[in-house]
Amino acid sequence: MRKKLLAILAVFTLMIVSACSSGNEPASGEGEGNGKIDTFTYASLSDAVGLSPIMTNDSASANVTDHVYEKLFDRNTETMEIEPKLAESYENPDENTWLIKLKEGIKFHDGTDFNAEAVKYTFDKLRDPETAAPRASLMEPVESINVIDDYTVEIKTKYPYGPFLAALSHSNAAIVSPTADKEGDLNKEPVGTGPFKFAKWVPGDQVVLEANEDYRDGAPAIQQLIFKVVPEISTAISMLQTGEVQFIDNLPMEQIERIESLKNVTVEKVDGTPEYYFSVNHGKEEFQDAKLREAFASAIDRDAVVSKMNGLGIRSDSVIGPKVFGYVESAAEAGTPYDLEKAKSLVEENGFGEKTYKLLTPNRSNFLLMAEIVQAQLSEAGFNIEIESMEWASFLDTARQGNFDLTFLSWSNLTADGSELFYPNFHSDNVGASNRAQYSNEAFDQLVDESRTTTDQDKRLELLDQANRLMLDEDAVVIMYHSIVTAAMDQSYEGLLLEATGKWNLSEVTRK
Amino acid sequence: MVGFIFRRFFQLVILLFGISFLVFSSMYLAPGDPASMIGGPTASKEDVEAIRDNLGLDDPFLTQYGRYVVDLVQGDLGYSYQNQQSVAEAIGVRLPNTLKLAIASMIVAIVIGILTGLISALKQNSWLDVGSTTFALAGISIPNFWMGAVLILIFSVNLQLLPVGGLSSPWYTIEGIKELILPAITLGTGAAAMIARMTRSSMLEVVRADYVRTARAKGVKEREVIWIHTLKNAMIPVLTVIGVNFGSLLGGTIITEKVFAINGVGRLMIDAIAARDFPMVQGSVLLVATLFVVVNLVVDVVYTYIDPRIKYQ
Repeated sequence: MRKKLLAILAVFTLMIVSACSSGNEPASGEGEGNGKIDTFTYASLSDAVGLSPIMTNDSASANVTDHVYEKLFDRNTETMEIEPKLAESYENPDENTWLIKLKEGIKFHDGTDFNAEAVKYTFDKLRDPETAAPRASLMEPVESINVIDDYTVEIKTKYPYGPFLAALSHSNAAIVSPTADKEGDLNKEPVGTGPFKFAKWVPGDQVVLEANEDYRDGAPAIQQLIFKVVPEISTAISMLQTGEVQFIDNLPMEQIERIESLKNVTVEKVDGTPEYYFSVNHGKEEFQDAKLREAFASAIDRDAVVSKMNGLGIRSDSVIGPKVFGYVESAAEAGTPYDLEKAKSLVEENGFGEKTYKLLTPNRSNFLLMAEIVQAQLSEAGFNIEIESMEWASFLDTARQGNFDLTFLSWSNLTADGSELFYPNFHSDNVGASNRAQYSNEAFDQLVDESRTTTDQDKRLELLDQANRLMLDEDAVVIMYHSIVTAAMDQSYEGLLLEATGKWNLSEVTRK
Repeated sequence: MVGFIFRRFFQLVILLFGISFLVFSSMYLAPGDPASMIGGPTASKEDVEAIRDNLGLDDPFLTQYGRYVVDLVQGDLGYSYQNQQSVAEAIGVRLPNTLKLAIASMIVAIVIGILTGLISALKQNSWLDVGSTTFALAGISIPNFWMGAVLILIFSVNLQLLPVGGLSSPWYTIEGIKELILPAITLGTGAAAMIARMTRSSMLEVVRADYVRTARAKGVKEREVIWIHTLKNAMIPVLTVIGVNFGSLLGGTIITEKVFAINGVGRLMIDAIAARDFPMVQGSVLLVATLFVVVNLVVDVVYTYIDPRIKYQ
C-alpha cells in the first residue's frame, strides 16, 4: 500500500516538475529574419462587442475594426489634420454639398471593388432607423447620398455642417463591403479594405487578424495580429513583462511607474484629447447662483490635482483641450483661478456651508482620487461634501437623470473637434441624454449651432473660442485636467502610431 | 432512489423559475439602461430611443418577463442585447474553461485538504498539526485576487516557470496543465482549507468512536484502522463540504478568471452585468444555479454508497 502511494506521489511530482522545467518558450512575437513578425499580441481589457463599424460604438471593437476597415478620411497622427484615406480629394460646390472623389483600384478583402456604391450603401445603412446603429447620429445632418459615377459620390447635407470631415474620419464611418454585409454578418466576420484581414474570433478570448498581402501600400510586417482579452491590467502588465503580449494601452496612472521600470518595454506618451471636469447640476435651481459656482471654482486647486496624476495630466482651464479644434492658447488661463480666501469668504457670506452637497462619482480609481482631493479642498473652503460613488453603468444613468448635486464627468474627444465636444456635452438639445451636466444656455447653444453649421474653419474657431470663454466666465464647469494618452510596447518593436485621442494603429509596426 | 432524483429535478425546475424571476426583476429595477450602454456616452437621445425600441425595452415588465419565460421553456436562452450573439452559444464557448478550472481547483482542494486534515488529526497537537491549522486559517483568509497576483509575480514573472494567463492549450497537454496550475491553486486553496478543517475535526471524532477501539482491540493493523474504519466514516461531513464548495467554486471562478485572463462563465456574467446585458446575465446565472443543484444532488447520491444506512424515500 505504502509503495503504491509513493509511486503515485513520485509520478505526480515528476509530472509537475516536467511541466515546469520545459522553461520559457520563445516569446510569441519572434519570427524569422525576414523582417516579418509572426505574431504580435495586444492585451485588451475587454472583448470587442462586434466587428461591424456600423453596429458598434466601443473602443475595444474600434481597435479591431480600425485595422480591418478604412474611412474616407483619416486624421494624421502628428499634425491632427484630416487627410483623405479612401477618398482621393473633395470639394464643396456649395455649402450643403460634398463632392468626394474616391481612390480607384482598391478591393475589399472579399475581392469586390471599393467604389461609390459601397460608400452609399455603408452610409445609408448607418443612418437607416431600421438598423438602429449606435452612432447613427454621425449621419444626422445628411440629406441624401448620390452616386455620380463609379468613383465619385455626392453627399447633400440638410444644413451646412462644419465638422463633417471629422465625422467621416470617425471609426464608425468606416466603409464596409456591401456584398459581405448582404451575404453574411459583418459583426462576426468583418470585410473591409484595411491592412489586416479577419481570421477568427473566439468570443471573450481573442480576435485574430492576418496581414492583407494585397494591401495597396504593401503588406504590414505583422503576419498575425491578436487582440487577446486580459481583463485585469496588472495581469496584462505581467504578460508584457514576460513576453506573452507585446502591446498594452491606456496605462493606469497608479501603475505607470512600474511599467516605466520594466527593462524590455518602451512607454509612449502623447498629449491627448480626453478630459475630466467637475460640474454642478445645472438642472437644479440652487446652482443658478453664479456666486455658488464661483465659490466652487475658486476652492478647487487644479494644480494640486494634476500633481497627483503621476505625470499623466495637463493643466489648462480651457474646456476645449490643447489638442482639440477650437482651442486658443489664451483660454488656458481664462478660468476662475484658485483662491482659497475668496472661496472661504463667498461660502461664509452666502451661507453655502449650511447644506451638504452630494458629489457623485463612478468607482474608477482616477475618479475616486479626484473626488477625495476635491472633497478635502472644498471642505477647507467651508463646504460640506459627501461623496457618493457607484459602478459605471449606474453612474451614467444617475447622472443622465440629473440625480446629483456635483459630479465629475469625462469626455474622450474622439473626433478632436470642439463642436463635437460642446454639442453632446453641453447643448440643451442633449439634456436628459449625453449632456449630464444638464447645462442649458441659449447664447451658448447659438454659438455651438453656428459652429456646427458653418464650413468656414476660421469662423468656426472663433465661434468655438467664444463658446469656450462663455462657459469659463460662468464657471459652468471646472476642468480638472486634460489627459496624456499612453501605451507600452515591447522594446524590440517600433512604428506604433499613437493618436492624441488615445487611438492607435499597429499597421506600421516593424522589428527594430 | 429514482423517485428521489426525479423529485429533486422537479424542485430544480421550480427553483430555476424563482431565480429567473429574481434576476430579471433585480436587473429591471437596477439603475443603468442597456440601450445607453450599447449607444455609449456619445449616443444622442434619438440613437438611444431607436435601440430601446429595437430591443423592446419600453414594454411593461410583465410583457418582457413573459416573453423571456416563453422562450426559456422552449429551450431558447435568448440573444445578447449587446451584439445579438446567442446566449447558449456564448455560454457554450466558455463553460469548458470554467469546468476545467473548477475541477482542477477541486482536485487541488481535495488532495491538499484531506492530506493536511488527516495529518493534523493523526498527529494532534504536534507542530505538524499547528502548521496545517495555520495553513487552513491562511487559506480561508487570503483573498483570491491577491493570491493570484502574488503567484503570478513569483512563478511567472520572476521564476518564469509558468505562463501568466489564458487557457489556450487542451488540458491534457503539458502546456495545458501548466496553464491550469496557478489558477487552480489560487481558487482551490480556500476550499482546501475548509476541507482540511472538516477532515481534522471529523477524524478526531471518529478516532474516538467505539468501533475504532474495538478494531484496535481485535488487533487490526493500524493502517487498516485508519484507512478503512476511520477515514471512510469520517468522510461523510467532508463530502458535504466538498459538494458545497464545488458549487461556490463555480461562482468563485469570477475573480480567478479575471486575474488569469480565463475566458469563462464567471467573467461572462460579470461583463454582462456591467453592460446591463440582461439575457446574458440570466443565462449564466441559471447555468451556475443548475450546476450547483446538480452537484449537491450528486453528493446526496454518493452518501448512500459511503454509508449504506442512508436511504432516500
